[in-house]
Amino acid sequence: MNEAELHGGRYAVTDGEIAVANLQSARRRSWDRVSRDPMAAGAAERIVEEEQITLQFLGDVGALDRLDALATILGQLDPASARTALVQTQVASATHRFAEARCHLHEADCRGASRQATDRLLLNIDQACGARADAVLDARRRMADESNGLEDLVPLGALLADLREFAEADLVYRRALAVYQDVSPFALAWVCFQLGVLWGELVPDPQAERAADWYRKAIACVPAYVKARVHLAEIHLRCGEAGDAEALLMPALASGDPEVRWRLGEALAAQGKFDEAEGQFAAARSGFEVLLDKHLLAFADHGAEFYAASGELPKALALARVNVENRSTRRAVEQMDAIASLVTSSCEPRPNGVPG
Amino acid sequence: MSDHIDGPRVIGDPVADITDLFAFTSPESPARTVVALDVFPGAGAEAIFSNALDHSIAIRRVTVAGMGDAARFQASDQELVRFSCRFGALERSGPAAKPVQRGTCTLPDGRTLPLVVNEAKGAATADGVFRVFAGLRSDPFYLAWETGAMRKTPNLIQHDNVLAIVIEFDTRRVLEPDKGSLFGAIGETVPVPRPGLPVGHPPPRIDWVGRPEQTNVRLNNAGLKDSVDLRDLWNQQTPFAIAPEVKPLFIQRLKESFENYDMRDGKADWTPAALAANVNVFFDDFLLFDVTKPITDASHLEIEKSTISGRPYQTGGGRTLDANSIDILLTWLVNRDREFLLGGATGATKPGTKVFPYLAAPNTELQVVAESIDLAASPAKVWSLIGAFGASWHPLVATVRLTGSGVGQLRTIETVDGKQIVERLDALDNAKRFYRYSNVSGIPASSYTGEFGVKPKGSGCTVEWRAQFLANDQATFLVKLIVSTLFKVGLGSLPARFGAMK
Repeated sequence: MNEAELHGGRYAVTDGEIAVANLQSARRRSWDRVSRDPMAAGAAERIVEEEQITLQFLGDVGALDRLDALATILGQLDPASARTALVQTQVASATHRFAEARCHLHEADCRGASRQATDRLLLNIDQACGARADAVLDARRRMADESNGLEDLVPLGALLADLREFAEADLVYRRALAVYQDVSPFALAWVCFQLGVLWGELVPDPQAERAADWYRKAIACVPAYVKARVHLAEIHLRCGEAGDAEALLMPALASGDPEVRWRLGEALAAQGKFDEAEGQFAAARSGFEVLLDKHLLAFADHGAEFYAASGELPKALALARVNVENRSTRRAVEQMDAIASLVTSSCEPRPNGVPG
Repeated sequence: MSDHIDGPRVIGDPVADITDLFAFTSPESPARTVVALDVFPGAGAEAIFSNALDHSIAIRRVTVAGMGDAARFQASDQELVRFSCRFGALERSGPAAKPVQRGTCTLPDGRTLPLVVNEAKGAATADGVFRVFAGLRSDPFYLAWETGAMRKTPNLIQHDNVLAIVIEFDTRRVLEPDKGSLFGAIGETVPVPRPGLPVGHPPPRIDWVGRPEQTNVRLNNAGLKDSVDLRDLWNQQTPFAIAPEVKPLFIQRLKESFENYDMRDGKADWTPAALAANVNVFFDDFLLFDVTKPITDASHLEIEKSTISGRPYQTGGGRTLDANSIDILLTWLVNRDREFLLGGATGATKPGTKVFPYLAAPNTELQVVAESIDLAASPAKVWSLIGAFGASWHPLVATVRLTGSGVGQLRTIETVDGKQIVERLDALDNAKRFYRYSNVSGIPASSYTGEFGVKPKGSGCTVEWRAQFLANDQATFLVKLIVSTLFKVGLGSLPARFGAMK
């Protein structure tokens, strides 16, 4: 699959390896610039964008620590500015500290931040929290119609998927692919990943092969796309293709994302490599513990899934509850209900003679 | 800032973002002309060209079609010359080998010249007519203004690198100046079409540039409040052929922008007719140069300015690597060359060189943090309170504990947020009020050395704090930010104690 075929087949996009090298290069330079002059116009904002891309595609969870450090430093140097409050809002949102993000956004508003900037951030927070669904949907539709750009179409597609409007979400994502005329592979990979999640996890009757195809396209655009590799590996595991799953995950090990270790452990166990699998499970557990200690809200849902799969249901349920309290989206509630059911069934007395 | 990051659309893929275009006489040979196109603002050491873009420089013959208030430059309908560079994916000769990127430059005569990115000597045709370089270089541009408020700043892109394409050619053989010596050049980045693309489908241009600052200064004037950002729309226009339906939009914006710049100093230096002439000239956006006249660091925009002023131009215009293009432009727009407006810097991080490829070598990753503050107290008084290696004066420092004495002693710093930093005293000169130290632990960087000193300045003094270290991992930039914050907050606390210099 040539990634160019994704957007009408007319133009190529930058090779994913080059794009990642350039992202890292630009990110390093941006930090260099902000360290020379933290107040430089646009410097901190650019880092926020670059670190978010690094987190989203490369699974570099250290991005959250760096973003927190940036927000702290801006708070020390320029505590009373609207700009600092906006950056703090974005950083708090990135780490899913949505209540804190709303406080910072209120501060930004009070300090005279532009309505356009605060409205956009509020929309993102509301969507992430599942709040004001109708108003957010109206706004997303309006923005997508006005710009017809990928950057507005993808959030609309994600919202429609959350609202179970799967067919329309699919159309919107495909429209995003069709209108895209830039050369960055990240944007295309993002849409393909969303389509993979849509058809592999969100629809009532998941279509594994269709989802796998989209994940493969995402990886064709950005080979280092860690989440796409993990999701595709999960499909391989469900299909009994543990070797394929292992091959997909090995290149993503360096990312530091504990989910890679977890799924790799499953792939190894499925091939009977139990000792190696145990090592990966232990590394995954340790990784989740560190992340949950530092960024509980950002990883509560992933942690809940991990601990549920590991049989630690009370811990999983506690994390799922934390996630729901932070953002009561449909998916969060469904996850909590599913884990609660597991807890309930595990507590029910077993018939005599059935081993525990 | 020149054409750096000039629209929301290019921010998505900075490697497609053109920063600057240059045209000048070769420093190595007056018979040769150099054109250079830079992309990727803020490129780091590992930056690589996109393999999905055509990077082109196109040149057309231009004539002076009117002077004074009727000033206008008419570009030929026919493109005279086009250089088009494409690059490949990364190549590795082995698993541990450093990746290499190759490319080709399609020359005006149809030949293709293969080249290797970052090879300083570049590639040349066998007949010596063309020579091409592509690779990472120090950004030759400098911007030292906050143009919205006309406030001087240090160079906002100090230490930055760009990806540069430098093309040198035999002027006579390529441009045939006997048929007309005035030319207009543009640079553009356009996605590479896939084979089989239906004929007639125009490629979606990502960015293009003629004269510097068309987008970021002239069209997107920070002094025009609540104006719509037209930069993406401009970038998608076809150079030398702006769509007629959007022309009024750009003309109106340039008029408003130039009126605004004219009044930045509170004085109207432009008549409405002369201002309209500027609008017409700058709307036709190409970099003008005349190969039969001298192109110097000061000749940038001279062709346009003389023509608008109703007199024949004297220089070759163009744009050298060291041309102070932003100050030349602002001076013209704000006060019509009544008084030169010098920004806060007099040159780029590194000046251009006299040797091909003329753009200086890229800036290295040696990290330097330097901060200073002027105080209204004697050096002796300040040094007596903050000059001891174990002195505790910094607001972010909770405690300082010394081990040993004199050079070689260690100080263990506990910061207010619970971190521990251990540093070794390497040199001390109380007479000169200076000490140097190195980091032992607590700052994850190698070869970290710091210098702290107090110098006389007028009736008061300057406190200087500087550190340098090697960037050896991903965390280094965060370290640099932490160190610079430590310095800023520390020095920033001193005026309250000693008084600020008036």
